[in-house]
Amino acid sequence: MKRDRADAVFAALADPTRREVIRALSMRGPSTATGLAASLPVTRQAVTKHLGALADAGLVTATRRGRERLYQISPQPLTVAVSWMADVGARWDERLAALRDHVVRSRRGR
Amino acid sequence: MQDLTPVEREMVVPASPEEVWPAVTEAEEISAWFGAEVEIDARPGGRGTARWADGTERPLLVEDVEPARRLAFRWLPFQRSGEGEVVSVPSSRVEIELDAVPEGTRIRIVERPAFGPAPFRVRHVGEALAMAGA
Repeated sequence: MKRDRADAVFAALADPTRREVIRALSMRGPSTATGLAASLPVTRQAVTKHLGALADAGLVTATRRGRERLYQISPQPLTVAVSWMADVGARWDERLAALRDHVVRSRRGR
Repeated sequence: MQDLTPVEREMVVPASPEEVWPAVTEAEEISAWFGAEVEIDARPGGRGTARWADGTERPLLVEDVEPARRLAFRWLPFQRSGEGEVVSVPSSRVEIELDAVPEGTRIRIVERPAFGPAPFRVRHVGEALAMAGA
C-alpha cells in the first residue's frame, strides 16, 4: 500500500461525520450536497466542507450539475481502507483465537 | 456497507483480568499467541519490537498502561523487511482493554490508523537508522 495515499485516505475517514457522508453517498448513489444534507444531521455547508476534504483525499469525485455539484464515491481509495481493515481484522481474529488457547493452557498448567 | 476504519474485536476468556494481564504485557507470553516474537517494555513511553518468521521487524511504542485494565501502543510508521530494507507503512494505534465479567475477562481490541503529531516523531529518523543497522 502506498503510504502517502493511505494516510490521506485514513485521515479523511478519521472524522465520524465524513464516514457518515461516505455511507450516505454509498446508499443514495450520486448526490448533491443539498440532497446529502437532507439525509444527515448536519447543515449543507458542513456537508460541502466534508465533501471537499473527501475529494482532496480522492475518496469522492464531483461533476457539475446546473448550479450544484454532483458527488459520487470513487471506489479505489476506499478499497485501500477496506483492505487495511480486512487485513488487520483477520490478523486479530487469528491472534485472539491463539490468545484464548494460551490463556486456557496457562490456567491448566497452574 | 461495513463500518469504516477502526477494527474492533471482542472475546471473553475464562480467566480473571489479573491472570490475562501478563499474557498481553509480557514478551514471552505475547510471543506465544501474537504470531511474532515480541519484545516490549510495557510502561508508558516503553519501546518494543515484533519480529515475524519472514524476518519482518516492526517497532512499537507503548502509550498507556493501566495494570489489569488497559494497554495502548502505537505501531511506528515504518518496518524493516527480512532483506533489511526499511519501508514506510501506515502507523496505527492498538488498544487492549480487559473487563471483568461473570465468565472471566472480556478482552476488547481496537486498532485504528493513527494520525497527527505523534510522540515518536522527533525520534523516528534515528530509530529508522538504528533499525537499518546504521
